[in-house]
Amino acid sequence: MSAITVTSLDERIRRSIGADGGASTTQEYFVNMGPQHPSTHGVLRLVLKLDGENVREVIPVLGYIHRGVEKMGEHLSYRQFVHLTDRLDYLSALANNWAVAKAVEKAANIETNERIETIRTIVAELQRIASHQLWWGVFGMDLGAFTPFLYGFRDREKISDILEETIGARLTMNYIQPGGVMFDIHPDFQRKVKEFLTYFRPKLEEYETLLTQNVIVQERMRGVGVLTAEKAVSMGATGPVLRASGVAHDLRRSEPYGVYAKAAFDVPVGRNGDCWDRYWVRIEEIRQSMRIIEQLIDNIPEGKHLVVKPAVRTKVPEGIHYSQVETARGIFGVMLVSDGKDVPYRIHVRTPNFNNLWTVTETAPGWRVADLVTIISSLDIVVPDIDR
Amino acid sequence: MVVSESNQVVAPPIQRGGFFSNLATGLKSLLKGMGITFHYFSRPSTVVTQQYPENRATLKMFDRYRMRLSLPHDENGFHKCTACTICEQACPNSSIRIVSRKGAVTNKTELDRFIWRMDSCTFCNACVVACPFSCLKMSGDFECSVYDKSLLVFNLTRYAGPTSTVLMKVTDPQERAKMWEPRDVYSGPVPLRGTAVPGGGRTLGAPEPVKASAPVAAPTPAPATAPAASATALAVEEEGGKK
Repeated sequence: MSAITVTSLDERIRRSIGADGGASTTQEYFVNMGPQHPSTHGVLRLVLKLDGENVREVIPVLGYIHRGVEKMGEHLSYRQFVHLTDRLDYLSALANNWAVAKAVEKAANIETNERIETIRTIVAELQRIASHQLWWGVFGMDLGAFTPFLYGFRDREKISDILEETIGARLTMNYIQPGGVMFDIHPDFQRKVKEFLTYFRPKLEEYETLLTQNVIVQERMRGVGVLTAEKAVSMGATGPVLRASGVAHDLRRSEPYGVYAKAAFDVPVGRNGDCWDRYWVRIEEIRQSMRIIEQLIDNIPEGKHLVVKPAVRTKVPEGIHYSQVETARGIFGVMLVSDGKDVPYRIHVRTPNFNNLWTVTETAPGWRVADLVTIISSLDIVVPDIDR
Repeated sequence: MVVSESNQVVAPPIQRGGFFSNLATGLKSLLKGMGITFHYFSRPSTVVTQQYPENRATLKMFDRYRMRLSLPHDENGFHKCTACTICEQACPNSSIRIVSRKGAVTNKTELDRFIWRMDSCTFCNACVVACPFSCLKMSGDFECSVYDKSLLVFNLTRYAGPTSTVLMKVTDPQERAKMWEPRDVYSGPVPLRGTAVPGGGRTLGAPEPVKASAPVAAPTPAPATAPAASATALAVEEEGGKK
């Protein structure tokens, strides 16, 4: 992990070049991939040690979009902090909100009702589908196919519209609050979700025909960037990246929250942990999410959408409160250290992308630069989530 | 790990045959994908792109769409805000500043200016949810581009005075007119360089502001229709305020 600091990186480059300024070494060289690179999905800098076209070593350099969200949280009340988590993994804003809400509810002993939990589960699953749709489009684009990008965004728009109608925002939603959800669902919500499910099912088959069954795409994914189960666990990878390596760990199954315990769904797992498995696991997760929504959408119980008064300053008992949820990318955890005041003493956010990105140092060496793009894209990283 | 083996689906392996069968599957898969592309290419009705600036007449945002904050005024032109500053406390980034005054007639705290900084607002809706009188609303007005950042600091109230409930109790229109005076969108203390609102914006983590009768600057005659002119006028006002 010495690779995190820039000084050690410089030192490594200097050592590699040698004392003669590189006159005798002509084989290996360093190339910056990013921070401005279309395939790094944001301001991520990867320093590549290359031997010709072959990647010898990948050193991620972070910090280009660090905003100090954890520190900012120390000055905000618990309810206010929720809106900052939208800005971490912006494609899983609802799940992130949920993690904070869960931590505060657990700490302050707030009992939510069935309706709240069902609404939360449905919107979080909708956003998981939207997130995977976006990933699918971008994955296709990283591989050189532009059409999936258009199709992915076309269908994601439907979900964005559904969520926009109920929540009022498309990306930074701030919807799931400690003690409930900000608004009750819109009267059209259930009808539109059902319409979307019937609309999207044939479209998903199109996705499969267009990209999954394409032999060129298959050959670019098969066996590329293999991440073994042991390495995935030891590096702390979570979500589809971990499941693709064959570890069937899903928080929705192992520590059910919301109403996941009531819904029947399968956990997709991969065989080898290569790009193909990661791709397939996500496509299958879309199907499973649709299954969950189908079971829940007609059975939203009656009740209030907010069980506590939306007081600005809620006091949370002293102690350390941790909660975690499964976002589209893995386990998102929030640790609140409270000293009994209305603002947290310390907040720590465990984000899935940080660990998932680090697996690239293990999987990429030995592959070519073009394969590295596939590997990074198959990890589905969101950079603001890594830097926080 | 408490995972039952039964509820899993395992990724299918990619099947590959001999050289010629691979060639055939490769060509077939390519043509199948092309078929989908051609399907949409030949059906322009499936195109979902909206031509945004041209479709303004038909474009309708959802009711709950969160954009420009507004303080709705009723048919008499009065609002329901009591200047209780709960929205100001609820705001995570100090985008709201309530300037209150002692009413000349009622001798009670009433709203003078409701200053909202769009430049630092994150549209998190916390103020709207927190308002105990439901007098705030995020309106769907999303076209807010301006050339000067200072024009993103609005005064939401159209008058300084008590709530509509108090005002409507007074039946005599002339008596009522004495209780309020007009304010416009850009009236009041407006910062120009992204700094705190003059007259005491609350910074993050700072203790609650001490309630005092806010020093009311003379209303700047800043016409909302002339951005450049109003920006200059405000700049002059800020300079003057510092001296």
